[in-house]
Amino acid sequence: MSCRLAGSGSDSNGPEADVLSSIAHRQASGWLGIRPRFRRRELGLLVLVAVALTVGSVSLGTTRELLAGEPLRLQVAQPAQLAVYLAALAVAHLAQVLAGRRTDQVLLPTVGLLGGIGLLLMERLPQDLAGSVFGDALGLAGAQLIWLVLAIAAIAVLAVVVRSDTWLRHYKYTWAAAGIGLLLLTFVLGQESNGALLTLRLGPISGQPTELLKVILVVFLAGYLSEFRPLLVEQSTRIGPLQLPPLPYLVPMVTMLAIAIGIVVIQRDLGAALLLFTVFLGLVYVATTRISYVLIGLVLFVLGSYVAYRLFGTVRVRVDIWLHPFVDASGDGYQIVQSLEAFARGGILGTGLGNGLPSVGGRLPIPAIHTDFPLAALGEELGLAGILAILGLYLIVIERGLRIATASADDFRALLATGLSMVVGVQAFIIAAGNLKLIPLTGITLPFISYGGSSLTANAVVVGLLLALSDQGVEPPPSPRPAGRDVHWPGRRRP
Amino acid sequence: MDPAVAIVWILRLTFLVLLYAVLVGVTRVLLRDLRAAAREPGSALGRLVVIASEVAEPRSATVFDLDAVATVGRDVNNTIVVDDPFASAEHAVLSFRGRAWYLEDLASTNGTYLNGQRLDGLAALAYGDELQVGRVRFRLERPRS
Amino acid sequence: MGTRGTGPGRSPRPIGVGIVRLWLVLLAAFAILAAGAGYWQVLRAQDLVDRADDPLLVAAARQTVRGRIFDRSGTVLATSRWGPDGEPYRVYASRALAPVLGYASSIYGTSGLEQAYDAALSGVSSSDPIDALLAKFRRDRFRPEDLTLSLSLPLQQAAVRLLGTSRGAVVMLDPRTGAVLVLASTPTFDAGGIANPGTARAAFSAAAADPGQPLLDRATQGLYVPGSVFKIVTAIAALGSGAITPSTRYAQQPAAETSGLLVSGFRVRDGHHLFTGSEELDFARAVEVSCNIYFALAGLATGGAEMTAWADRLGFGAPIPFDLPTAASQLTSGGGSFGGGFRDDVELANAAYGQAETLATPLQMALVAAAVANDGVLMRPQLVTRLSGAGGVTEIAPQVWREVISPDLAHEIAAAMLQAVEGPDGQRFTAGAAVPGVPTAGKSGTAQLDGSAQPHSWFIGFAPATHPQVAIAVIVEQGGGSTRASPIAGQLLAQYFATFRP
Repeated sequence: MSCRLAGSGSDSNGPEADVLSSIAHRQASGWLGIRPRFRRRELGLLVLVAVALTVGSVSLGTTRELLAGEPLRLQVAQPAQLAVYLAALAVAHLAQVLAGRRTDQVLLPTVGLLGGIGLLLMERLPQDLAGSVFGDALGLAGAQLIWLVLAIAAIAVLAVVVRSDTWLRHYKYTWAAAGIGLLLLTFVLGQESNGALLTLRLGPISGQPTELLKVILVVFLAGYLSEFRPLLVEQSTRIGPLQLPPLPYLVPMVTMLAIAIGIVVIQRDLGAALLLFTVFLGLVYVATTRISYVLIGLVLFVLGSYVAYRLFGTVRVRVDIWLHPFVDASGDGYQIVQSLEAFARGGILGTGLGNGLPSVGGRLPIPAIHTDFPLAALGEELGLAGILAILGLYLIVIERGLRIATASADDFRALLATGLSMVVGVQAFIIAAGNLKLIPLTGITLPFISYGGSSLTANAVVVGLLLALSDQGVEPPPSPRPAGRDVHWPGRRRP
Repeated sequence: MDPAVAIVWILRLTFLVLLYAVLVGVTRVLLRDLRAAAREPGSALGRLVVIASEVAEPRSATVFDLDAVATVGRDVNNTIVVDDPFASAEHAVLSFRGRAWYLEDLASTNGTYLNGQRLDGLAALAYGDELQVGRVRFRLERPRS
Repeated sequence: MGTRGTGPGRSPRPIGVGIVRLWLVLLAAFAILAAGAGYWQVLRAQDLVDRADDPLLVAAARQTVRGRIFDRSGTVLATSRWGPDGEPYRVYASRALAPVLGYASSIYGTSGLEQAYDAALSGVSSSDPIDALLAKFRRDRFRPEDLTLSLSLPLQQAAVRLLGTSRGAVVMLDPRTGAVLVLASTPTFDAGGIANPGTARAAFSAAAADPGQPLLDRATQGLYVPGSVFKIVTAIAALGSGAITPSTRYAQQPAAETSGLLVSGFRVRDGHHLFTGSEELDFARAVEVSCNIYFALAGLATGGAEMTAWADRLGFGAPIPFDLPTAASQLTSGGGSFGGGFRDDVELANAAYGQAETLATPLQMALVAAAVANDGVLMRPQLVTRLSGAGGVTEIAPQVWREVISPDLAHEIAAAMLQAVEGPDGQRFTAGAAVPGVPTAGKSGTAQLDGSAQPHSWFIGFAPATHPQVAIAVIVEQGGGSTRASPIAGQLLAQYFATFRP
């Protein structure tokens, strides 16, 4: 370690100065004495997020009072819950400031706003929806707040603590095995909900393992594809006009497919299968830039879908509902018709928070509104304007993730960041498109907004890892080897 | 219009406007990063300037534009060939990882020096740092943009 | 400069290329989402909000106390009671009202007038979007309105009682205003039982399973072969078009009475020659004795196109605009090339006395009688005369619907119909229809059905014949000859004059 004195750079001199001072700070103070690094952009954005959420909460509280017939009084809906949530965001910010890492400054405020919108939504829904001992005691919003605080804590901890990726990089098969094990465990011990085998209950803790599975599989795929990327690109097996990947390397991919199909067959969870398969195809494409692999995957997907359509009643019903929801608007098509009507009632500007349908008569028109249809509820209350803003927030999370990927030092990190941002983006797309009747509806959560601990913590892990990956100044990637000695070197920045 | 209704309307619309304010704020940050990133690819990532040389190759004031990896050593296969018996065949490697330069000594006989200190393994570099291989001293400089 | 081991074949492209392409794909996917949201929230918003199953209406219906419904003298026909679950439910004054009012049930939705006036009764009126928006913030968020009907509960109950166990319908209305006094349909059903959540399932399945199809409102939606009562329509068409005059006689008619009138190989037969012998009937006599041959000839003289056109002026051919949904009556099934949709002269000749493909609702036939009674002017039928709520009272004024024929011709037909009830020969066909002390005009009908089924028994008419106050149509399904319908009409008219005569 060299001994260069600190203090030569100042934080305001642009990225290079940041680099310099970062290295300078660290080199001067070593690993233990961490110097704080102010995060001006994150702070500014978080303040804006806090203002937005407070106004939203006042809007909700005031509307509610008025609907209850009280005189006009500006009022925050749940002051304590809002305060706790904003405090959690502030603490996460401070933790990163103190850690002094140069991690991304946009992800936390963006995700914080999405989570906050979710919290406002949970505050305005009937509180008895939570449907568990824990949830019943705290109410829907109370339970969601606890999960949100845990999620933000997870983000902060991962962003501060994770300085090395070896634990992910070197144990990819272990992770894959853990994922499959989790799946098998769900198969054996899982509990059914809404016709899908989703919930794993171990003593007092219950959760939906597919949420965690998606992160594990991304870690595995990033490790596998980064290791075999050159081989997958260089060699191929030709069968007639088909250009297949080299056969020995097909095995893990086939395993992936098997897992996806297994999820459909065993758990009847179409959403998770679709998500995993899409992320898989996306990662294979990014690693190889071979469209033929994606096409093969799509053909397999279409075949698989057809077989599933023929074999499984659930699939057939879902597709029929999707094609003709209005035929049985009060029966099978009920949820989706209600969802579309909610979007329609919202129009362009929405009815305002707290002024949507569930306030009429206190009855919920959509049964799983807090898990599967939060976007429909938000579409009603925030209108098209709100929906576009929310879609924009997801795009920002994706953009950040992909930028972190392009700026990554090596293939593993690039693929990991790509996969993680795809997990969020594709999941948001699948459920939003389902709510909007663009694709058949699948029971999957809207990241950061839907009610539920598994979903929030899994997505928090995604964001935490992305934040950790975004800091390039601390842990160098494995040593690059000089010319002629080794097989490959990350492909980026080649003229 | 009822003032109560008007106030609720204003609150509602303010919330929507603030959602977009966050989006705009974030987008500005993204654009700034994009502009910064746009300058990087294509051009060199840094320059290595020979500030003092006691050998024929490289001569003083020679400037090397650096790609992501540059190897330094006596062997002709190196990116930067230091024709000096005090340099090892494969002496050191400069690599740009993420947004920082790193210098690694490849177990050279006479060692690589960073700002006058003998380098042990890997170290991050800052622009302006001086390094020495054999009897040649270099300074790492910013790329010309 | 680049230092990279390159194996045989291609080397990997920079990973950034794939990532940028992936970003573009995701961007496109989200653009599709945005377009989808725009489609539902802007382009399709109005359609979806207007759907009858809009939960806003459903939820409002559940929670709010619906407006009451009154009859013409202020008797409560429908009101609400609080159920044990804290939600109001509907109670009705009489089973006789079920086909008119329908039901409002939290389980089975709404039907009848409860459905037609759901928005007013539940107070969710979406006619003014700003008001609807503001209404959400009011304590009394929904402002249900009460309905006042022109219906008379005692007459309605009497009509149902007189129909008894038969299936049938009675429509009674004021020809001067179109105000409907009776809209009876039997069998009735237990609408109150369907409205009460405790008994809803049993009551609904009983009504749905009843072979008498009580959920069908026969008065507005039952389509029946009209038989001889349709001759009044032919009379209007023939006289109105000038094809005949009141003094028109057909020389071939008396001779044809015994063997039947041959029309392109089909024989139109009659049964009245026992009393008329070889008399050449004029228009009034032909109505009095209900001469099929006379009207077949008159119909042929009028022609298919004119027949259809005149029938349409009376309301045939399209649903009648009314407070309840109505079925469209028809002169012919259409599609024929003979004129007016008729296939040939045989069909036209048969339709002219109400057989062939002719089908009419009781409401339609009551309107035919009303048009004659009201000097040839047809009033738009109406059931709801007043909406009253917190927002004020809306009176619904009578409206002229169509001017069908001249008053002179109307008087000629009215005179013929008076003879058909009061005349010595007419009484044979309309026994029981005449109201003592009130000159009554009318026309009976016996609608022959295919096969061996008993014919439908019809009567249409009005009274007093000179200055009509009330018009009526009665049908008893498969009631045999006209002896079933005429007395029902007579007793209802008598009860009307006993109640409302000044």
